[in-house]
Amino acid sequence: MFTWKKLAALSLFTFIVLIVVGGHFSHHAGDPAGLATGATSDFLTASGAKEVPVSQVGVNALANEAGHLRVSINFTWTLITGFLVLFMQVGFALLVTGLTRAKNAAHMMMMNIAAFAIAFIAYYAVGFAFHFGGIAPVANLGGVGVLNSIKPAIANWGLIGTKGFFLQSGHTYDVGVMCLFLFEVVFMETAGYIIIGAIAERISFAGFIAAELLLGAIVYPIYGNWVWGGGFLAHLGQTYKLGHGAVDFAGSGVVHATGGWIALALAIHLGPRIGKFGKDGKPHAFPGHNLGYVVVGTLVLVFGWMGFNPGSTLGATDLRISVVAVNTLLAACFGFVTAMAYTNAQNGKPDISMACNGMLAGLVAITAPCAFVAPWAASIIGIVAGFLVCWSVAFWDRAKVDDPCGAISVHGVCGVWGVLSVGIFADGTYGAGWNGISGNVKGLLYGGASQLGAQVVDVIVGFAWAFGITYIAFLVIKQFVQIRVSADVEIEGLDMPEFGAYCYPDFVLHPSTGNLAESDVMSTTASRTTSPEPA
Amino acid sequence: MKLVTAIVKPFKLDDVKEALKGYGIHGMTVTESRGFGRQRGHNEVYRGAEYEIEFVPKVRIEVLVDDIQATAVVDTIMTAARTGTIGDGKIWVTDTDAVFRIRTGEVGAEAV
Repeated sequence: MFTWKKLAALSLFTFIVLIVVGGHFSHHAGDPAGLATGATSDFLTASGAKEVPVSQVGVNALANEAGHLRVSINFTWTLITGFLVLFMQVGFALLVTGLTRAKNAAHMMMMNIAAFAIAFIAYYAVGFAFHFGGIAPVANLGGVGVLNSIKPAIANWGLIGTKGFFLQSGHTYDVGVMCLFLFEVVFMETAGYIIIGAIAERISFAGFIAAELLLGAIVYPIYGNWVWGGGFLAHLGQTYKLGHGAVDFAGSGVVHATGGWIALALAIHLGPRIGKFGKDGKPHAFPGHNLGYVVVGTLVLVFGWMGFNPGSTLGATDLRISVVAVNTLLAACFGFVTAMAYTNAQNGKPDISMACNGMLAGLVAITAPCAFVAPWAASIIGIVAGFLVCWSVAFWDRAKVDDPCGAISVHGVCGVWGVLSVGIFADGTYGAGWNGISGNVKGLLYGGASQLGAQVVDVIVGFAWAFGITYIAFLVIKQFVQIRVSADVEIEGLDMPEFGAYCYPDFVLHPSTGNLAESDVMSTTASRTTSPEPA
Repeated sequence: MKLVTAIVKPFKLDDVKEALKGYGIHGMTVTESRGFGRQRGHNEVYRGAEYEIEFVPKVRIEVLVDDIQATAVVDTIMTAARTGTIGDGKIWVTDTDAVFRIRTGEVGAEAV
């Protein structure tokens, strides 16, 4: 009978061996000092010339400097926007903690920060290699040509990258690789904390850690490889003549829909919170304990999104960044106004938390198309997302899936809308050579019906993978780990039983809802009795 | 001695305090509280689901007075706290056997 302590010790041992062995055998053929990254060739590639004549020595030196500066500017942009994406973690911690009850606030905050550390390590160990281990050279970052192994080695049918484990294997100790890693790991973190919104107030911390490891090491990076790492979805243009293949600029699908569908699988495994649905099946409201957190959190996320989307050019030398930034904010504002107006029409008052969800829905939806559409289209994408999120929250309530913060609606449903909208609104002004297909990206409205086909395939594969693999994995995991806290703990609040500390120890907490009367509560025992005895 | 206890709307606290100071009472104690009366709570909608706010926020005021002051203090509070709409609250008066001032050990009316 193995115990968790043995397993943890074994993992740690493996980890150390991998780092030591990886370090020993890595010959550092990358560019760890950054002296060779960014040279004449980077300038020539950008300017379209073949070579500088030998006679023009001065020009050659100038071109060398220009190439280095070009890559430096792109490094700066990519790193700074990566730091902005990292800051979104703050916004999400505030958002989901504000949307839940005070008795679970410390648990919510701890999950947010633990998601960061745990998923980060999983992505560093194997996730990044699976994701980008076979990406073709990234011109904006001066190459990163060492990430060149995708398997299986059949043209256009790659499934998984195999270089860059522990940022060591395959000579990936390289400035370009590190720059790419920093930007991509914070994107993975985004999917990592999205799931918290749907599993809040009932998942055990042990179950949560299992979910983060699965997400950071397997679910997120492998699908990410198919779209961004040179995998088969990116090559649907070559294989099936579907436009430019799956086009997802900053990750409506790769990041948000993936996070949303993982959240859905987990929410189904966990079952609803006690008291969420009455005996008559009607959803009860558990008002969030701090709408101030919700609003501030939403605004921090908007700010962070200014890194998320514009940064996805991986370079400031691509001046499309201004279009991307403006489109992003337009969709956010239209999403907010639509959700605000919709709830006002439905209930007679605008719902603050739904309006904030509407703003995030607009952001999620514009994330895939932001670089390919005109401002008018960004506005429409935001409006549709604002409606979708309101409809979707009610839909999951009717389906008896309990999603305390609307993560499945905001990220899953609106993420899908974002991916599809590329195939509708892309206006053919950007994306030359995207995924190796010549010409700009065009959607249905501009004569590119096949692009929409690629987007549909992307959406279906993305859902099947993220939802399917998580659902199946947790069928197994919950045989070993108690993924849901006991009913007593849930009713008391998770803070003290799970972490031995209250978030607000100086206050007596009294939830503002009286809906927890035993007689009115639908049974949730099905999901609770499947947990084994603790070891 | 009497203990006058009043449950009033929170935003009326300042009016009641000023009126009681104007009358000349020596002290009062205020507690945040929640409750419902005959009007019950009210319904709101949160993220599409209706819920009832059953316990409405109130302020509980306690004033210790001499027997002869009780009626006047009740009148003062009633006038100051009244808005004429539902939820204005209640006042009740209870007999108090003994009152002590902790610092000096004074007893009875002197301690009020």
